[in-house]
Amino acid sequence: MATDTGREFDGSGLQTGLGLDDPRRLLRGAAGLVGFVALWYLLSLTQPAIVLPSPVAVAAEFRGQFVSGTMPDALASSIRHWVPGTIAGTGLGVGAGVAFAWSGLLDDVTAPLVRVLRPVPPLALIGFAIAWFGLNHAGAAFIIAIGGFWINFYATYGAVEEVSEDLIDVGRTLGVRGDLDMIRSVVLPASLPGILTGIRTGLGRCWMLVIAAEIFSVPGVGREILRASNNLRVDRAIAYIFVLSLMYLVVDVAFRAVQRRVLAWQA
Amino acid sequence: MAGVNRGPDAGDGSADVGTDGSAGVAVDAVGKTYDGAGAPVRALDDVSFGVEPGEFVCVVGPSGCGKTTLFRIIAGLTDATDGEIRVAGAPVTGPTTDMGVVFQEYHLFPWLTVEENVGFGLERSDRSAAERERRVDEMLDLVGLTEFRDSYPKSLSGGMKQRVAIARSLAVDPELLLMDEPFGAVDAQTREMLQRELLDVWASTGKTVLFVTHDVAEAVTLADRIVVMAAEPGRVAEIVDVDVSRPRERGDPAFGEHVARVRKLIGAGP
Repeated sequence: MATDTGREFDGSGLQTGLGLDDPRRLLRGAAGLVGFVALWYLLSLTQPAIVLPSPVAVAAEFRGQFVSGTMPDALASSIRHWVPGTIAGTGLGVGAGVAFAWSGLLDDVTAPLVRVLRPVPPLALIGFAIAWFGLNHAGAAFIIAIGGFWINFYATYGAVEEVSEDLIDVGRTLGVRGDLDMIRSVVLPASLPGILTGIRTGLGRCWMLVIAAEIFSVPGVGREILRASNNLRVDRAIAYIFVLSLMYLVVDVAFRAVQRRVLAWQA
Repeated sequence: MAGVNRGPDAGDGSADVGTDGSAGVAVDAVGKTYDGAGAPVRALDDVSFGVEPGEFVCVVGPSGCGKTTLFRIIAGLTDATDGEIRVAGAPVTGPTTDMGVVFQEYHLFPWLTVEENVGFGLERSDRSAAERERRVDEMLDLVGLTEFRDSYPKSLSGGMKQRVAIARSLAVDPELLLMDEPFGAVDAQTREMLQRELLDVWASTGKTVLFVTHDVAEAVTLADRIVVMAAEPGRVAEIVDVDVSRPRERGDPAFGEHVARVRKLIGAGP
């Protein structure tokens, strides 16, 4: 089962990132960014604004949306379901991952069920979200939680399965008795690097799911992207896409800092 | 000339309790069969020997003689198919803190500092926080790692890691120290140093030590008695008393005689 994690993890450990601590990498990154914007600008000169608006137009739209308060409101609304959805999905995913990987019985009982449920995309569950929670933050949080759940479930399951039997043996010889004590004092700390990588991947995935979660007209950044797209306001859509990117970036950098601190023993 | 005992000579274990918190071990007709693909594999057959309280016994044998299986059975980590192990007269049914276990690959907890690794078993004892702290200090001092107490295992050399593992296993004050090729993963110089240190620890704590190794010279350096095993199936070939006064020098003719004798028994040539 653990092998099903597949390509959800790109091996982005502690090394890959913005490279803020390496000036040469920073410079190259900046050059890449400037080159991209320049290319975008040149291309936009050859296209009508509804196909590809210029970066300048997008920046102006971004500023307009921000100043008018529409953008801050949309972001605040998205955060109101991103936060509970992410927390619920992460917590349940990690919890289920530990429990299923540790308990052979639980794993045997649920393995077929997991295989049936796993391929269901969160978007397909919108009907349930509406029926169970309604057209509100709770319904949107549900969609986000589903996505976060699977990433964390598989990452945690894999990490717990890989905990060395030898460490568990050592724990037993040093007086660890019972599943809870073993999980708390050996299994969780040993699998923490893998669990944290899963959480980090999940945080990003949950931002992407904001669009899916808002497809049934719950207000938020995703809703604004969909509405702008429907109105052929590509400049506005891109401005709101940047909001998602920025939020992802902020959360990711913050989480990486936490991760480094918690895993100081790996350094 | 070394005295030789033919096994089995397992005591009944009932009187095998030392006065200083060290325990005797009785290995009584222990057998282990694995259900291999196809025919079952007999890893151990009718293995019997005794270890007196406070005694240092080495188990040597060729690879495949089941020494590690025997070690795991004595530690309570694997069940025997036949026979039983008694420590201080009580049958072993699972791992206990009466036995300190040291593995070849150290298996330190990488997320804990040296100090926290040593204190791991103490957290589950009924000692007060102050007592635990004092015990950790004592153990770090015993293995000479006081100044590395706040380091993580990753930054330690192999020899240092094994010292931490030994301190961790001794911290809970076991009656018996069980070691499986503990110095097999370090270089020769470190190994000799660790051997001397282990003998010092043994002398100062009076613990019973049961030490598994494939290195004959190591066994002759350390042991009061050597249980020589043979393979297919794993069994006791002979039990050799090491009548060489300590400290033992490798240049000593009596030392060489014992090494040659044990090598011959396990068929490794002189």
